[in-house]
Amino acid sequence: MTAQKTSKFFRSKSFALIAIIIVMIIAFTLGNKNYISAGNISGFMTNISTAGLLAVGMVCLLISGNVDLAAGTEACMAGIFVATILGSGMPWPVALIITILFGAAMGLFNAFLVNVLGFMGFIATIGMSSVYKGLALVVSNGINVSISNQGFYPLGAYSIQMGKFALPLPFIYTVVLFVIYGLILKYTKFGRSIYLIGGNRNAARLAGVSIKKVSTILYINCGAIAAFCGAVSTAKMNSAGPQAISGTEMDSIAGAVLGGVSFMGGSGGLGGAFIGLFLISAFKNGLTAISLPTYWQTVAQGGILLIALVVDYFGERSRVSALKAEAAQAA
Amino acid sequence: MANSLEFNDVGKMFPGVRALSGVSFKAESGKVLALLGENGAGKSTLLKVLSGDIKPDEGEILIDDVQQSFSSPLESIKAGISVIYQERQLIPGLSVAENIFAGDLPGSSGIVNYKELRDAASEIIQKFGLSIDPDQPVGRLSVAYQQMVEIMKAYRRNSSIIAFDEPTASLAEAEISILFRLINELKAEGKVIIYISHRLGEIFELADNIVVLKDGQLVKTFVCSETTEDDLIHAMVGRDIGDTYANLSRNSVYGDTILEVSGLETEDIHDISFSLKKGEVLGFAGLVGAGRTEVMRAIFGADKILAGTVTFEGKEVHFKSPKNAIDAGIALCPEDRKEQGLVLFRSIRDNITMPVLAKLRKFLFLNKKDEAVLADAAIEKYSIRTPTADKIVFELSGGNQQKVILGRWTSDLFPAKLLILDEPTKGIDVGTKAEVYQMVCDYAKAGMAVIFVSSELTEVINVADRIIVMKDGRITGEVLRAEATEEAVLAMAMAGE
Repeated sequence: MTAQKTSKFFRSKSFALIAIIIVMIIAFTLGNKNYISAGNISGFMTNISTAGLLAVGMVCLLISGNVDLAAGTEACMAGIFVATILGSGMPWPVALIITILFGAAMGLFNAFLVNVLGFMGFIATIGMSSVYKGLALVVSNGINVSISNQGFYPLGAYSIQMGKFALPLPFIYTVVLFVIYGLILKYTKFGRSIYLIGGNRNAARLAGVSIKKVSTILYINCGAIAAFCGAVSTAKMNSAGPQAISGTEMDSIAGAVLGGVSFMGGSGGLGGAFIGLFLISAFKNGLTAISLPTYWQTVAQGGILLIALVVDYFGERSRVSALKAEAAQAA
Repeated sequence: MANSLEFNDVGKMFPGVRALSGVSFKAESGKVLALLGENGAGKSTLLKVLSGDIKPDEGEILIDDVQQSFSSPLESIKAGISVIYQERQLIPGLSVAENIFAGDLPGSSGIVNYKELRDAASEIIQKFGLSIDPDQPVGRLSVAYQQMVEIMKAYRRNSSIIAFDEPTASLAEAEISILFRLINELKAEGKVIIYISHRLGEIFELADNIVVLKDGQLVKTFVCSETTEDDLIHAMVGRDIGDTYANLSRNSVYGDTILEVSGLETEDIHDISFSLKKGEVLGFAGLVGAGRTEVMRAIFGADKILAGTVTFEGKEVHFKSPKNAIDAGIALCPEDRKEQGLVLFRSIRDNITMPVLAKLRKFLFLNKKDEAVLADAAIEKYSIRTPTADKIVFELSGGNQQKVILGRWTSDLFPAKLLILDEPTKGIDVGTKAEVYQMVCDYAKAGMAVIFVSSELTEVINVADRIIVMKDGRITGEVLRAEATEEAVLAMAMAGE
């Protein structure tokens, strides 16, 4: 890394967020030294995986100027779906694949609403989220669907032991997907098309980018990953709850936007989104660690979001003034 | 009522550029002061300083010799300044009357008195001798009339200083004359008027004084009656460009017919038939809204075709999307650069390589080296003024933005066979315009077929080899360059009126 690059990093958005995270970790550790214990960290990693997996599909959609507010309920539906077909005695790898296809189909339906019927993604997926929320209750009769298949459980519950520390499998899935999709966004034609569409769909279309094709693929992708997320979460609990995961997509979106993904599309990336999500999750985890009453936790979660936005705002301002000074020197 | 507006030693830095430096001049009431300069000369920055949009780093603005300091556009408006931008600042869903009175709706205790609003608006509309329904949503008005709503808004605010940023850029000749009448009325009322335009003819028609800017500095101040077009061009570009059109090096050899359009119909255009040969430059003239853009969009697969055929390279084609047309070798530079042409917040490189990403693929990934080579080649070929290909297109001047789009369609990986240029010189300066004309001729020489759509009559009849004239979605005439006169073409463009 050259000196210039280093100084750029210190002024970047990610740096401001990382600084907040470090301060936060120190503060929570002072409050409860178990905050950085191996056990808590591994629990944290498991927890962040749900919003993290959802974020992968979501960030791609957000960058393209779309959104899937039903992602959480799609994951919930997929959880009930996988628990039900496992109950019929299907081998778990087959069930997992069928579940992911089921998620893809839910995504395809979103794409149909947006691209064929021309609804706004925001409204269409709010509608679908409500449909799935209700369907999940109807199908499950409002009670958890438990799983007897012994092979499925490790998919979500196993950890790789490294001395005292256990690295949970779901966290590995999350990191792997973040890396794969990060590479796709940055280095492939398809990834570039996502940014172009989000930046200006008219111009992208007139330059030969198939905007409907790209957004259809992204909705399907988001649905499929949500289904995977639902399956993993179901495996971890060894049962599927009719209200599991619903609403988690909001954490994914908040983390992504905090990490620099524009809600209007066209900018941001998975790296920033991960840092944003990390901040939100680590904070939630810390509130539990210092035993803040649950109701206050909700208030505090909103608070950290605002604080992060304020810090980011001032970071942005100092960055702009630094650029100006640089330019003045050059001139 | 203010009597004078003075810029005193105004300077402004942007990252990497000195946008303004030491600009001083004075504009007086009852006079039109024209600001002239090439793209990037600093005209727009000056207007932004005036409107309170940006703060100057040095110098001051004085109204009636009193120093002003605007920290927001609102303060500038309160000081009696209205700036009418190229991109109109109207709310399309609201009515004409609501827009004219935006921010100051009549009524009491928070409830709008719509009758009073309508009457007051009608009064202003009548004063300017226009026939606009005050209840109509602004979004349904033509660009020209939207601009007039802006002027009435400025008038209603009782602004004593009114600045226009290239108001005629998207107007047709007939609309321009109404605009000029309005400006002259404001002038007669003793307003201070600042007028930015690239069109020299207009400036001679309208202005009293002319300030020429170049590279952020004031070159010279002219009195309109004592100067000539040549003097101005010389001051603007720092050299004589002579007779632009006569000096064009044109193509004279045509190849086979490449495009044949027959009986084309869409929702907006009717019975369009014409043909085009390789190496030919075909002009499309007409007033704004004549349907020229819609013809281009239909050929390009962007709008749905209801009837008729398009034959390209001897084969009948049915493009379902622009992508199909691009794959066949057709390129379109759209009329509205910012809305349709560019992804403004992406780099020059990303904007140039948009249509050829598939060809830049190595295995699964984009070959960033090849991509950089391609972008750098376009930057060099079109002398796009930028330090690197990574610069965001948003930060470029209009002319350079246009060159980015031209670069996109003429790279080694995408040598267009048919290049459609829709208003390629809109909002760009005289020097760059001349460059664009020569590029058009060079494309033709290279065997490309070129369609050149323009609302500027002089330009289209002097650059194109053959000119098709449209009105109300139909072709009303066709003429060769050698036989074309502005009067004849205008008569066809306004046929039946």
